[in-house]
Amino acid sequence: MNIHDCNCCFGDAARPPFRYARTAEELIAEMDFCGIQRALAYHAGMRFDSPVVWNDRLVEEIRGFSPLGATWAILPSQTGEQRKPEEFLAAMRSAGVRALRAFPDEHRCRLDKRTFGDLLPLLVERRIPLLVKQNILSIGDLLKEIPGLVVVAMNVGPHSLERYLRPLMDEFPNLYVETSHYMVEGLIEESCVRYGPGRLLFGSGYPDVCSGAALLRLAQADIPPDARAAIAGGNLERMLEAARP
Amino acid sequence: MMSQMTNPSAIAREFVQTGRCASCPIIDMHGHLGPIGEIYLPAAPVEKMRRALLRAEVRKIVCSPHQALFSHPDGGNRLMQETIDRYPDTFLGYWAVNPNYPEAVRRAGKDISQARGFVGFKCLPDYHAHPITGAGYAPALEVANERRMLVLVHTWGGSGFDSPQMLAEVAQRYPNATFLMGHSGYGDWEAAVRAAHDLPNVYLELTAVYVAHDFGNQPGGSGTPLPFLSCLHVNGIIEHMVERASSGKIVFGTDMPWYSPHYAAGAVLFARITEEDRRNILYRTAEKLLARSGGA
Ligand SMILES: [Zn+2]
Repeated sequence: MNIHDCNCCFGDAARPPFRYARTAEELIAEMDFCGIQRALAYHAGMRFDSPVVWNDRLVEEIRGFSPLGATWAILPSQTGEQRKPEEFLAAMRSAGVRALRAFPDEHRCRLDKRTFGDLLPLLVERRIPLLVKQNILSIGDLLKEIPGLVVVAMNVGPHSLERYLRPLMDEFPNLYVETSHYMVEGLIEESCVRYGPGRLLFGSGYPDVCSGAALLRLAQADIPPDARAAIAGGNLERMLEAARP
Repeated sequence: MMSQMTNPSAIAREFVQTGRCASCPIIDMHGHLGPIGEIYLPAAPVEKMRRALLRAEVRKIVCSPHQALFSHPDGGNRLMQETIDRYPDTFLGYWAVNPNYPEAVRRAGKDISQARGFVGFKCLPDYHAHPITGAGYAPALEVANERRMLVLVHTWGGSGFDSPQMLAEVAQRYPNATFLMGHSGYGDWEAAVRAAHDLPNVYLELTAVYVAHDFGNQPGGSGTPLPFLSCLHVNGIIEHMVERASSGKIVFGTDMPWYSPHYAAGAVLFARITEEDRRNILYRTAEKLLARSGGA
């Protein structure tokens, strides 16, 4: 089965996990250990240091490692740290980046129309997915302002957030959930029944958590084989193919 | 799925392919039962929970019902008894004690001696806002000490009610009771590992240890009245515990019907530890503890 991980990371951080991949090569060794074929990766520096430095460094560091696809983290354009949206997207295009990430808590900004009003409509137009690690209610507010945005909610858990999540999933068909922290028994199965298997994307969460955990969970989820294949990689790959940076 | 993985563990391979391993069953030392107000749990109905446990070859689970912890303990403890009587092959119980009901704590020793299938006590100090070292728990802990029973204590790093340091203090006060540090003093790993290493009657329990708790990411935070310590990444923690405290001091747990047994088992099966370590964590250590406390 084709497994395409949308949430994994390598590189040093100020407070690193007990075990992690320092380089792209080490990340691939970890993927091989688990039987994961491909990954949409980011560098720890993009989250815990600065995307200004590490977006470009990521592209350099994964060059030549075909199992890895690059993602960039976004910052507000008002401070001038990040290129203006058109320029940013052009750079993204030439670097082969097809999906973006946002870490609004780590980067102390609001992920809303006021702050990202110049960039987000372009992402809607070009179907560029935004992988967001943030409180699920803030993601709901974002989608209310920019309803066409393709958003993947990352690290949804570890508690069951269904009472917050389901009203949003009902309202916004382009809201997706990444599975690394979707670990409460029965949630994957019920999501497939309620929404079909199209709304979940496999993420290992490595090295926030052990890759094998979300992997065994998905491997043994009580769902049909085609649903498992969609979550393992099919949904993500369709999303990346649709993106036109 | 994952047919080309380089993980050399035969146990992991069998779990990946079939969802279980007949030669390596699981004993879950930290379970609950039934629904909880705080969150939606699809596996709250006992039949659904049992089905999920059987799919992962969880042969035994030791539980304390949510109702025993979040309402008067008597009703929940009765529910546990009914569940044990109905499914004696799967369920064992911890008798829940809550110091906010001192009369129930005082008679817990008598109650548990008349009950069937209970192996010890469950304490939830953070949620009951009473320190594990406090007088409110003493009547139950004295009983556990006299009768060499298990005590599962919710522990969390930095807590004023159940930090690993406080657990170590109480474990030395009651050396014949066996203390399982629920969540392994989450976040204050060094103190927890030290307690398990230094004290023969203290064990690390894995529920939620394999989880990155970022409470900033959760609307409403957690259900405790206190801010919980967050920990953004935990990969490698199981290896660290095995190295410092040994796999003979670690037991497996899930909080079921909370965390999927396969998710939790995956963290053990893909850790860089030996097959013997995996067996110790998944069932052997628990088997020994249960044999000593009458639950085998
Ligand atoms: Zn618990």
